[in-house]
Amino acid sequence: MVRRVPIGDYGLIGDTRSAALVAPDGSIDWWCLPRFDDPPLFGRLVGGPESGWFSLGPAEDARVVGRCYRPDTVTLTTTWTVEGGELELADGLVAEVEGRFLPSTVLVRRLTARGRAVHARLHLAPRFGYDRHPARRTTRRAGALVCEHRDLAIAVTSDGPTVEADRSVDFDVRPGEPVTIALTAAYRSPLIVVPPAVASAELARDETGWRTWAAGIEVTNHRDAVARSLLTLQLLTYSPSGAPVAAPTTSLPERIGGDRNWDYRYAWPRDACIGIAAFLAAGKPQEARAFLAWLLHASRLSRPRLPVLFTVDGRPGPPEAELPGWPGYADSRPVRIGNGAARQHQLDGYGWVLDAAWLLTDAGHGLYGETWRVCAALADHVAATWTEPDAGIWEKRATPAHHVHSKLMAWLALDRAIRIAAARGDRRRRRQQRWTVARDALADDIRARGFDPVQRAYTAAYDSTELDAAVLMLPMIEFEQAASPRVVGTVDAIRGRLSAGGPLLYRYPPGTDGLAGGEGAFLPCSFWLVQALARTGRSDEAAALFDELVLLGGPLGLYGEEMDPSTGEHLGNYPQALTHAALVQAALALSATTTPADRELTRPC
Amino acid sequence: MDWAGWAVFGLVATTGLTAVMIAAQLAGHTRLDLPLMLGTITTEDPDRARVAGFAIHLAIGQVFALFYAAGFAALDRSEWWLGAVFGLAHAAVALAVLVPLLPGAHPRMASERAGPDSTTVLEPPGLFALNYGAATPLVAVGAHVAYGAVLGIFLGSS
Repeated sequence: MVRRVPIGDYGLIGDTRSAALVAPDGSIDWWCLPRFDDPPLFGRLVGGPESGWFSLGPAEDARVVGRCYRPDTVTLTTTWTVEGGELELADGLVAEVEGRFLPSTVLVRRLTARGRAVHARLHLAPRFGYDRHPARRTTRRAGALVCEHRDLAIAVTSDGPTVEADRSVDFDVRPGEPVTIALTAAYRSPLIVVPPAVASAELARDETGWRTWAAGIEVTNHRDAVARSLLTLQLLTYSPSGAPVAAPTTSLPERIGGDRNWDYRYAWPRDACIGIAAFLAAGKPQEARAFLAWLLHASRLSRPRLPVLFTVDGRPGPPEAELPGWPGYADSRPVRIGNGAARQHQLDGYGWVLDAAWLLTDAGHGLYGETWRVCAALADHVAATWTEPDAGIWEKRATPAHHVHSKLMAWLALDRAIRIAAARGDRRRRRQQRWTVARDALADDIRARGFDPVQRAYTAAYDSTELDAAVLMLPMIEFEQAASPRVVGTVDAIRGRLSAGGPLLYRYPPGTDGLAGGEGAFLPCSFWLVQALARTGRSDEAAALFDELVLLGGPLGLYGEEMDPSTGEHLGNYPQALTHAALVQAALALSATTTPADRELTRPC
Repeated sequence: MDWAGWAVFGLVATTGLTAVMIAAQLAGHTRLDLPLMLGTITTEDPDRARVAGFAIHLAIGQVFALFYAAGFAALDRSEWWLGAVFGLAHAAVALAVLVPLLPGAHPRMASERAGPDSTTVLEPPGLFALNYGAATPLVAVGAHVAYGAVLGIFLGSS
């Protein structure tokens, strides 16, 4: 039985090349090295104790009294109270190492005692590769514990106890004498051993950088939630290429004990495009442009087809495989690596890309000629293929269908291509005419076959009566007037029939995806509902819904992909970039309809 | 040393190499775009960068042609296959040594160590430029072998 820490209780730390999850007891239970999609050095989260962990915390009776990020940074602090004193653990990874004599990976863990000396315990159990092998060679060199296995090596330095591998070490932390542990890693390169004091100073320098970055966030409402979401999106962006990963984990279940366990450590163009919109609207155009640049570069080999997902260095997503012997989170098996959705055809992706390009154009960030040529080729592809069925946004592993959301996004792709062409003064009239004809034909098709007059709502697929929460995009894409009865009827129907209670929505009716068992409510859909309500003139309802959703976030303001409506437990891979991007967009939609500072929920720390 | 032959056929061979690389790129075999990669040293706009990069690449090609010519002179023979062997070695050095060094010198190329402050526009190529597609090493080897063969044929005949 794997130790069960609620998914939403984990804190995220990262360096924009890899990310780790820290439990409230101070244990790092997930950290893939050297980058997001590599095997975990610490994989207890889904792999059981055989998969390694790194715990650091009190060795006496203690209670967690505070967990928070230092304001506008990604340094996580956990505070325990013990009889007559307190112990605080600060965790962080150093993100900015370029131009300095530092390894690519520097983990800093610093314990500080207050009131009295506190007895603490450290346990370091590194494992290497998906076969979870202990280090082939463990030595002590240059004042560091060095664990090596094939092409990966780690070095651990400490200004407190002497660290051993696979052995608990007890020690005292005295007030005024903090203890720092630094773990550095080297992949196919020489190890650079970093003294604890240097590592600690680098983390402090990094914090200044994060604060400076966060100071540029231009939002007025819900700033704490928006800033945490944008910082999380930044942490989930692989800086060497600019690729945003959907989540840093694999196989956190969409149902506890179920088999809906997927690997999200890859980059989806859809997420990148939603990120573009979120960053652009929050006053971060450079990050928005970087996402588009990554996307156009990564998709170069498959043009004009847009792959569903890429690895962080732009290669095709690896085939899906199961890890034998991995017990899974709370016995949720199998644990998978790779993602089978990579081979699907998803029409909606083109709409996200062209809409993102339009948002940049509309905001005055003109596209390069090459970028426009790629966008135009994507629009040509949509105009030629929109009549084909696709797998849809939810990546159901069933027969392709004519999904209404996909058709709406195809319409969006053509509409935005036409707008960009007009804004650029593009003179290729014949091509624009072709796009216009296809766009109008699509609109007629969607209205004829994708609308159910009985429910007065757009449906999930042509000639179907089921609903799909992805169609909540309708008021945002300007397919019809936001206040039209068809749009309002669709929003209301989805809200009513796909409700999972409170502010939560299922993405589609439970039990209709061909997989065994149900799943949780899909959190991005709730934020889309906020946007839809705001756009259809119901800003008070939208704001109230948003407030409820902010309170449903984890203790650190992080969100998974789904939530168990009965327990409020976060489900699915965590934290989820799509949810955080949707949160930012919802907050910005509210900003357009409510006055500044009229709603500010802050998370106590 | 036949300077006129070096000037003309160095240009021909480099143009041929560039053409092979661009053709492979347009055919979807690789994302490696040498003119873009070199040109973004001077400008961020991809279209302008390609023009500058093509000129830079021609100049670099001329320099390498000088080494090929010196090699042929040292061996006192010049054959297409000898040029191809030189091209093979050239590609190996380019992929294993020169391209991986680029992130350290290129102002707009990220390194594998890039952090959130990075304002670069090109992702790092990685070993053998594999980040630009699995077929990239094959395409680069083919292009450089063609470059060497052209020089082997024409520098010998001139």
